[in-house]
Amino acid sequence: MSTPPEKERKEASAGLMEYSTESLVPFGPIHPALKEPEYFKLVLEGERIVQVIPRIGYVHRGLEKAAESRPWIQNMYMFERTCGICSFVHSLCYSQAVEELTLYQVPRRAKYIRTIIAEMERIHSHLLWVGLMGHWAGFDTLFMWVWNDREVVLDLVEAIAGNRVHKSMNTLCGVRRDMPENMEERIVERMKFLTDRARYYREIIDTEETMLARTENIGRVSADTAEKLCAVGPMARYVGLKYDVRLNDPYAAYDEVPLDVITTTQGDVHALLRLRLDELIASANMVSYAVKNLPDGPIRVKIPPIIPAGEHVSHCEAPRGEIFYYAKSTGGRTPDRIKSRQPTMANIPTALEMLKGQTLADIPIVLTAIDPCFGCMDRMSFYDTETNKKWTWSGEELRQYGINYYFPERSKKKQHLAEALRSQTNRCLKEGF
Amino acid sequence: MSEIITQLAKYAEEAGTTVNSLRKEESLVEVSQDHLKAFLTHLVNDLQVTHLMTITGLDLGQNLGITYNFSKEREIINVRTIVPKTNPKALSIVDIVPGAILYEMELQDMFGLEFIGNPWKNQKLLLPDEWPADLPPPLLKISKADQIRRRLGLEAAKP
Repeated sequence: MSTPPEKERKEASAGLMEYSTESLVPFGPIHPALKEPEYFKLVLEGERIVQVIPRIGYVHRGLEKAAESRPWIQNMYMFERTCGICSFVHSLCYSQAVEELTLYQVPRRAKYIRTIIAEMERIHSHLLWVGLMGHWAGFDTLFMWVWNDREVVLDLVEAIAGNRVHKSMNTLCGVRRDMPENMEERIVERMKFLTDRARYYREIIDTEETMLARTENIGRVSADTAEKLCAVGPMARYVGLKYDVRLNDPYAAYDEVPLDVITTTQGDVHALLRLRLDELIASANMVSYAVKNLPDGPIRVKIPPIIPAGEHVSHCEAPRGEIFYYAKSTGGRTPDRIKSRQPTMANIPTALEMLKGQTLADIPIVLTAIDPCFGCMDRMSFYDTETNKKWTWSGEELRQYGINYYFPERSKKKQHLAEALRSQTNRCLKEGF
Repeated sequence: MSEIITQLAKYAEEAGTTVNSLRKEESLVEVSQDHLKAFLTHLVNDLQVTHLMTITGLDLGQNLGITYNFSKEREIINVRTIVPKTNPKALSIVDIVPGAILYEMELQDMFGLEFIGNPWKNQKLLLPDEWPADLPPPLLKISKADQIRRRLGLEAAKP
């Protein structure tokens, strides 16, 4: 039996050594409770992430293909169902692309109503996100407070549109429902309440040790990288890029409503929290202004079902960043091609950069920070290459791991309390209350 | 005409094409594959139009259209290149715009295009791993939703 040559043996052992320092962690893709299953292949060196490879498409429903066989107006309500949070802005962006193909103008009152609903949607989406960040950081009180306040804005949306999430307010060249009468005072009062709450939450995230420890100096990325990777929305603004479609290419009534674009150069997850809360305050001011200055007039123009031939692009600022729609017509009742691109797709390359150099414990918070909620994977399988051992963690266990990593004393205290409660319950069950 | 479009017209002339206006502040430039990279380098480096919104694929019958949708402030600049369906290969622009990587992967799945130079071109992004090789890419006009459903065994085809 001949031994392998010296060179080959060296190469083989070098490969082995390299392999044992890096481990591959599959992350995702299914979570039953949250909206977007995604899958990430993480390459770890010890506790640090060195490389991330994404795999998306688990909830790809082929809407672009389906749009080619449906009438123009039906497509709008179909594309509204793309997202369960920022539904309105999808139909807004789609209808703007189609409106460019027709020669009809949207009435001014409809533009204002569209602005009001779009900003209310931003408020509820940002509140939802702040709550989730609180949950993943191990600060569930914040989650409950914030989601309670979110009901305030959802009630207003329901009063105007008749529905909390899928508003179906838009139609081609206008809106379907007028603003109810005598709503102005109520909306302004609620917006002031939300502004006060947002200021209070800002104070909390700047002083609360839980939030500071979990978010400061985490998920850093340079402005140059974010620009090259075409980041959009808060993900561009948190590193100082002033990229906001409402400012750069105003649509609806954004050229008339005073707009406050917030940017920061702090560039970590904590900056994202502050930025979104500041944006929430800015949106509340815009809603108040638009409601007070709502012009009179018709709310829609009726248009024929056949759209003239042509092609146009439209983009809008959704709560998560820029969304994009492209519409091409050959002069028929159905579109020739519709393309839609969502902000999360644009932000994934930047999120991968944010993850590099972070620890395993930071994954949920960094992935939630870009606001797609795919930090919420319920199952993670681990594989140790040295011992060939495999194990699986649920999302809750990963969350606990993150909290224990940062606050070991607190988790011991919590365990102690939980045990005391359990033994007391058992005693009550045995001996009676 | 804004300054960017005036400059762009110059670069378009170098590439042997012209700038068409789709509406106020939206234009379309059709560039051949040979000139595409040089044209985009001018666009990104000299004119500072760095934000690529997305890449849109189009089925144009005999050919496939690849539209790069850029935006800079109020201007929307669409750069289109045409490749034949018989040889669906295009040059990757990841070295010029690193943010294009996922959009190219999306077009690979949906139109069966191949982007030469994309580092992740061998893996799927949106389609399932078990997508049958004999099914046409889903966004081509010859591909029918019923056929896909039946072939993947998702549900019985509608009568």
